[in-house]
Amino acid sequence: MSTAATETTWTTKRGTLAQSATMAARSLASIRHAPAQLIDFFMIPLMILLSITFFMGGQMMGSWQDFLQYAGPTIIAMGLFFAITSTGLGLFGDIKDGVFDRLTAMPVSRFALLAGRVAADMVKYAWALLVVGGVAFAIGYRAEGGLLGTAAAAGVLLLFLFAASWSMVLVGLTAKSEEQIQTWMISLLMPLAYTSTVFVELDTLPGAVQWWAELNPLTALADSMRVFLNGGDAGGEVLALLAWCAALTAVFVPLSLRAYRRKLTD
Amino acid sequence: MRYAIEVRGLKKSFGEVHALSGVDLAAAPGTVLGVLGPNGAGKTTAVRVMSTLTKPDAGSARVLGLDVVEQAAQVRERIGLTGQYAGLDPALSGEQNLVLVARLLGASRRQAKTRANELIERFDLAHAATRAAGRYSGGMRRRLDLAASIVRRPEVLFLDEPTTGLDPQSRNGLWQVVRDLVASGTTVLLTTQYLEEADQLADAIAVIDSGRVIASGTPSQLKQAVGGQVLRLSPTRPDAVDQLVQLAEWAVGVKARAEGGEVLVPVAHAGEAQAVMARVSQAGVDLAGFGLHEPTLDEVFLQLTGHRTRTDETAKEPVA
Repeated sequence: MSTAATETTWTTKRGTLAQSATMAARSLASIRHAPAQLIDFFMIPLMILLSITFFMGGQMMGSWQDFLQYAGPTIIAMGLFFAITSTGLGLFGDIKDGVFDRLTAMPVSRFALLAGRVAADMVKYAWALLVVGGVAFAIGYRAEGGLLGTAAAAGVLLLFLFAASWSMVLVGLTAKSEEQIQTWMISLLMPLAYTSTVFVELDTLPGAVQWWAELNPLTALADSMRVFLNGGDAGGEVLALLAWCAALTAVFVPLSLRAYRRKLTD
Repeated sequence: MRYAIEVRGLKKSFGEVHALSGVDLAAAPGTVLGVLGPNGAGKTTAVRVMSTLTKPDAGSARVLGLDVVEQAAQVRERIGLTGQYAGLDPALSGEQNLVLVARLLGASRRQAKTRANELIERFDLAHAATRAAGRYSGGMRRRLDLAASIVRRPEVLFLDEPTTGLDPQSRNGLWQVVRDLVASGTTVLLTTQYLEEADQLADAIAVIDSGRVIASGTPSQLKQAVGGQVLRLSPTRPDAVDQLVQLAEWAVGVKARAEGGEVLVPVAHAGEAQAVMARVSQAGVDLAGFGLHEPTLDEVFLQLTGHRTRTDETAKEPVA
């Protein structure tokens, strides 16, 4: 043991945020081993945007160009919203690999272990948004709100994805199998998206679901994005969205931490 | 502090399954405690409780004088764990895995890299440092896993079946690392199904079966506790084995065991061995050889539990 002299106790205790960043970097490090993942991240939202715009847009609004202008950005948002299941799947895989057993027996913040995954996924969503948004621009979408409005719309979308991802953290920690997580996506996220103003105006929805559509967080998201993209004045819809984000985080972060304790320390 | 690890009356059930039904363990600082038992004996559950991963239903576990439930955070600061299944990120390289652990423990980027490279050298992984850990062989993964649990030198190290599924060479290498760690003051608790491993490494052994400690002591104490010695008879003709078993039973009234063309007779003292030998020569059975020896731990286990350790079966199981 010629190496015994090396210092192995580091006095610089790093905080929860630094630990989260380390965990996020760890989740992203695999991209270097398999760069093809960079394509995986945007394929689903891209295909959703292109197929709905080209194949259904004409039927819905007369021309696909008009439809793209109305619903393009919110369809991108919906595609990314569906992608949050990957947060649940990723966490499920982490736990199955056994690496979390080691991390749990280490003096590391539990919040950091979970937040690292969410933060890494945010980077992936931002990347996918950049690519799919670029494609929308290339096929003719133009925001009246200009660059500033586009940035604000992207900002509220990412904020919402961050908050919603915590629900998938809980799903990833409590699911029994990958298939179960996929089922959750289809059965929960899809109806949520279709009962909102992602595709359609509120008053075209059946009366029975209108009250819900008005409450739906995706309506708040879609309306907020449109306000910013169309260069309008932000109002109630943005407040509703912020309230939803705060509520989702306030509910799902503590529930996730509790599920983590139950799953990994019992 | 008298014991680095002290476990009393530990109980844990999962539904109907009683994984631990009152386990007591103790390890003095700087020693190796071997926890020996077959699959399903409760070894992994005991390790998980001691390393703060599972809460016991009853009883207490103290590591370095700290209660593993009440003072879990402080315990985690001072222990290392190598679980039965590799605690590694398969998508990260060997080096990245070690850097991750060091960074989470507070090392700077440079310190983490230095420590990772040092461990990679020491554990003979330099040729695979940048390869994804998921593509490591079983032996390499074990070495990397052990390296990850000593990134910061732990005061107490838990090793849950560290050599299961390893070839003899990798096993010897791992044993040497454990000896080095103990020499530098680390207390090690090691679970194993291999009697030889416990005999090689442990200062004290606890034999565990169905969630209970059924015997404990130093390896030689255990052998003495079982009492007596074993007379080993090798007939020149293999078909004489049954006859020898019969003769031994007539001579000393105990059931002898046939194994690999030999007959093993448990005897209380040398006089009984003489009596057996007298019978054998009377009957005119030719022996190629015979000997009187201390029981092996395998024989101890058989004596204590009434069944053999299941090392033969488990060796065939795929290693996850």
